[in-house]
Amino acid sequence: MTAPDAGLHLSISNVSKRFGATTVLEDIHLGMAKGELVTLLGPSGCGKTTLLRVVAGLTHPDTGRVELAGRDITRAPPYKRNVGVVFQSYALFPHLDVAGNVGFGLKLRGLPKADIASAVHRALSLVHLERYADRPIRALSGGQQQRVALARAIAVEPSVILFDEALSALDRKLREAMQSELRHLLTQIGATAIFVTHDQEEALTMSDRVAVMYKGRIDQLADPRTLYDQPATAFALSFVGQSLSLKGKVVSSDADGSVVETSAGPLRVPRRFLRGSSVIVATRPEHVTLTAGDNTLTGTVVGATFQGSRSLVEIDAAGTRLTAEMPGRCTLPERGETVIFSWPLSETLSFSGEEHA
Amino acid sequence: MKQLAIIVSWAAAVFACLFLLAPLVVIAAASFSPTPVFDLPTGGASLRWYSRIGTLDGFWPALWLSVEIAVLSTLISLVVGTLAAIAITRGKLPGSEILAAALVSPLMMPGLVLGIGLLQYYRSVGFTASWSGLLLAHLVITLPYVARTMIAGLSRFDFTLIEAGLTLGCTWPQSIVRVMIPALAPSFLIASLFSFLASFDNYPVSIFLTDVRTKTLPIKMLQYIEEAPDPTIAALSTIILAGTVALLLIADRAVGLSRMAGTAE
Repeated sequence: MTAPDAGLHLSISNVSKRFGATTVLEDIHLGMAKGELVTLLGPSGCGKTTLLRVVAGLTHPDTGRVELAGRDITRAPPYKRNVGVVFQSYALFPHLDVAGNVGFGLKLRGLPKADIASAVHRALSLVHLERYADRPIRALSGGQQQRVALARAIAVEPSVILFDEALSALDRKLREAMQSELRHLLTQIGATAIFVTHDQEEALTMSDRVAVMYKGRIDQLADPRTLYDQPATAFALSFVGQSLSLKGKVVSSDADGSVVETSAGPLRVPRRFLRGSSVIVATRPEHVTLTAGDNTLTGTVVGATFQGSRSLVEIDAAGTRLTAEMPGRCTLPERGETVIFSWPLSETLSFSGEEHA
Repeated sequence: MKQLAIIVSWAAAVFACLFLLAPLVVIAAASFSPTPVFDLPTGGASLRWYSRIGTLDGFWPALWLSVEIAVLSTLISLVVGTLAAIAITRGKLPGSEILAAALVSPLMMPGLVLGIGLLQYYRSVGFTASWSGLLLAHLVITLPYVARTMIAGLSRFDFTLIEAGLTLGCTWPQSIVRVMIPALAPSFLIASLFSFLASFDNYPVSIFLTDVRTKTLPIKMLQYIEEAPDPTIAALSTIILAGTVALLLIADRAVGLSRMAGTAE
């Protein structure tokens, strides 16, 4: 049990939650500094939305403690927390116009009319919708509704803004544009925010740190770069970015690392494992070259595709399909050709095979 | 060929409208007749029958009773029907579809059967109070309209709206009053309108449950026609018709007729 850090803006400690027999959150710890953007990334059912709802006060944890801006809010109802939520469905009020939606929280706080009007205008201009103030909600496009939902959440100047799959309903192009715009806006107003998403690209683009969640736990909490270069678990590896991996058994181990015998051949890993234990060896496709190197394997080319800035070569190595990424202009091997390929020891990742077994 | 089909279906639609509206036009025209027979007013119009409505024997008590029963049964149906609709759409009850069908089933039942059934039932349990018996029967009539409209409305209602209200500073009751009820206002309006009209003009059920002193307006009107068939009834019908049209126009301004008729989406 760790004591919540006094310097943190939002601190979640020891939080667990069960629904009947299923554990949806297990001993979650997460601390955020003021102005930090954190993404909860994971597949559906990993508990990320439940964790968001715990912060919002819409779900109460069975154990643990949540502190926001120096106040214990574990048992506080949502209306006493000062959090802003942007819902997946936007949850805009159909009976109110745009300004009515954005000013809803301010009106409840009993602000004078003139103050509400200026705060609504400020929030709407942040999302570039100041000219839409008196439009009804149903007259807006999906992207505009998303902006109104955002304006409504930031208008009350919340201590933390929570985004529940807030961009997932937008089409790809709009989503990508919104990602960078949103990040810029949140930095501009110095907001502390948590995003929930299953989209790894969104996670890498939007956040200072990413928490990869799996089966109710945080597998890894790291900045996007570390998460990509040094995934802590085989799940984090497979969920973020492309990867190639082989299963095997450790045949020898010394101070420098271990040798793992896989179906495609022996591979060196820069980490010590017990002899006989099962290990997953992996790397990123861009580290693979069609030459001999530290970890060299032989395989048959089953396909090669040119994708502009890069080419992908699919190789069958003793029954395991692996994808290597080549520069776009290199000469691609023929289908059916037998090739040797390798990647450096420094880019070799390894995970105990018992993890998430 | 395609054009012909369009012309034929348009003609059918226009004919159906005329067919439905013609009797109403005739009644309205006859109400201005200067002569004491049901006739089209060819020789000048008169309002004499309108001024006689209020003098009809037992008119005011009948009107009051009809309005009272319609308003009360609508209000009770709104509360009960909405709660039932929430249970059906949200409660994940086993057999909630059967429950929904049962709740709406009186709509499909002939009014006569319902009336006789209720009469027999009231007798067998020794329930003789005619006013409350009538109200109870009208609840059976109005509840399906409210339940059907509210089930439709609630199944489209996004319950995260309530959560959005909570996170913006509403307490639970505030979220219901400031978010859920106004967001569902169109459904409430449609439900009340149908419910009120269904109760107000009901004849086949009421006829079995009224006694000499408690007669609703539709029953009284039929009685007038039997006793003295003069255009006073046409005048009264025209006023009721005008009232209904006014209600529909107000509802149209508020929510749109297509949503009301259930022809939208």
